[in-house]
Amino acid sequence: MIHFDNVTKVYANQNRPALDHVSVDVDKGEFVFLVGPSGSGKSTFLRLILKEERPNSGAIHVAGKDLARLSNFKVPHLRRRIGCVFQDFRLLPNKNVYENVAFALEVIGKPRRFIRKVVPEVVELVGLEGKAHRMPDELSGGEQQRVAMARAFVNRPMILLADEPTGNIDPATSIGIMKVLDRINRTGTTVVMATHDAAIVDSMRKRVVELEDGKIVRDQSRGVYGQAY
Amino acid sequence: MRANFIFSEVWIGLRRNLTMTIAVIITVAVGMAMLGVGLMINSQVGLMKGYWDDKVEISVFLCKKGTAMPACNGKAITPAQRTALEAHIKGTPGVKQVWFEDEATAYENFKDSYSTNKALVDATRVEDLPQSFRVSLQDPGNYQSVIQAVTGRPGVAQVLDQRQLIAPFFSLLDTLAFAALTVAIVLVLAAALLIGNTVRLSAFNRRRETGIMRLVGASNLYIQLPFIMEGVIAGLVGGVFAAVILIMAKVFLFDEVVRFFGDVTAVLSWNDLAQTITFTMIIGVVICILASFVTLRRYLRV
Repeated sequence: MIHFDNVTKVYANQNRPALDHVSVDVDKGEFVFLVGPSGSGKSTFLRLILKEERPNSGAIHVAGKDLARLSNFKVPHLRRRIGCVFQDFRLLPNKNVYENVAFALEVIGKPRRFIRKVVPEVVELVGLEGKAHRMPDELSGGEQQRVAMARAFVNRPMILLADEPTGNIDPATSIGIMKVLDRINRTGTTVVMATHDAAIVDSMRKRVVELEDGKIVRDQSRGVYGQAY
Repeated sequence: MRANFIFSEVWIGLRRNLTMTIAVIITVAVGMAMLGVGLMINSQVGLMKGYWDDKVEISVFLCKKGTAMPACNGKAITPAQRTALEAHIKGTPGVKQVWFEDEATAYENFKDSYSTNKALVDATRVEDLPQSFRVSLQDPGNYQSVIQAVTGRPGVAQVLDQRQLIAPFFSLLDTLAFAALTVAIVLVLAAALLIGNTVRLSAFNRRRETGIMRLVGASNLYIQLPFIMEGVIAGLVGGVFAAVILIMAKVFLFDEVVRFFGDVTAVLSWNDLAQTITFTMIIGVVICILASFVTLRRYLRV
């Protein structure tokens, strides 16, 4: 599903590469934690998957497409098959829960009837039933992140990228967030989650890819956050 | 659905930048009105020149006894000279027709032209007016060579082209048209910069929305269209104001000027005006689209 082959990314005006000859394979339906200290290249990894950045060398395939050969014109179509969740939720403050989720479908031109049908389903899937008409500032951080996940998942993407989704949320609420991510993963969606949260990684027992200074230092299939001794 | 969504976005954008939108509308309106006025002056000049070209004739005034013109030496033209002169004019290339105007006819014409100035007419006697040959031309633009061919012939007091009398008026009109077009170009530039600024503000105000749109895979067109539409709508509203200004300019300015000169055939038709308005509107909208598009490419990474 996601295939990195010897990928190197150096940002302009920097001599140290953000990613240094990284090769990773993520299969369909996998759940992968991307761990490592700040600046280790986790976010760059996710941005490369979205083709927000281009690698300096190496090849990236996402959902069977070679990103280097994907024209700019088709990048939006790639992004429709990838959902994204961030630490800062990125909700629209002047739209309620339903409208925030529906926005993702409206802007890709989905018919209204389709939106009316799927948005309530997804709002329920993330555990926000009965709160569809709340505004973001009336919700807790955990609930706002659930809205963001509903928005990321409403178009049934093949891949869900989560960049520290529990970074702004207390540990108890984080468990709920992880349950939703797990539920999404069980529908067959590949999930890649960058995180610092050791407790979550340890409790989930999923594949762990550890980055350090842009290099992969560990790739374990049922790993924990800290080094495996 | 799509149209609905885009128009609600456009409306939000225009309302949030109301002052900038008003500035754009005013600039576009004045700029397009200037452009239109310049074009209208041009076609008005064309029409009036055509009107005068049909009428224009060269007057070859003949010497009579006591004429103050140095070419005459105070002597009247002899009948032999007159016959020779008529033959010469007829033989000059470019001449269509020649006819003779004697003192009596000249006096009649004079009385007609100055009917409002009774004192002048009363003070003028038939003998005061010169005889002349009236020459019409095949190509009115070619009057210079005919004038040269006739000037200085024996018995010719003075050669006058009527066009010389109205030339200053036409050159004034040309200057006005040029000034209007220059102002129009400056204003169009200002409008383009203003639109660019408005779009930049809009893009900044809505960076959250556009960021999410990008993320969920909205197409570039879908992201950019609301911004471009903002420019187009501001341009169109400005164009409508410009159209109103142009209509008023025609009714209260152009038609009045033409009526003053007395040739109703040179009145600009409503059809001409409609063409000018259409043209300025298209120019205005195209400029708005271009300005929005160029700005978006800089400030809205897709």
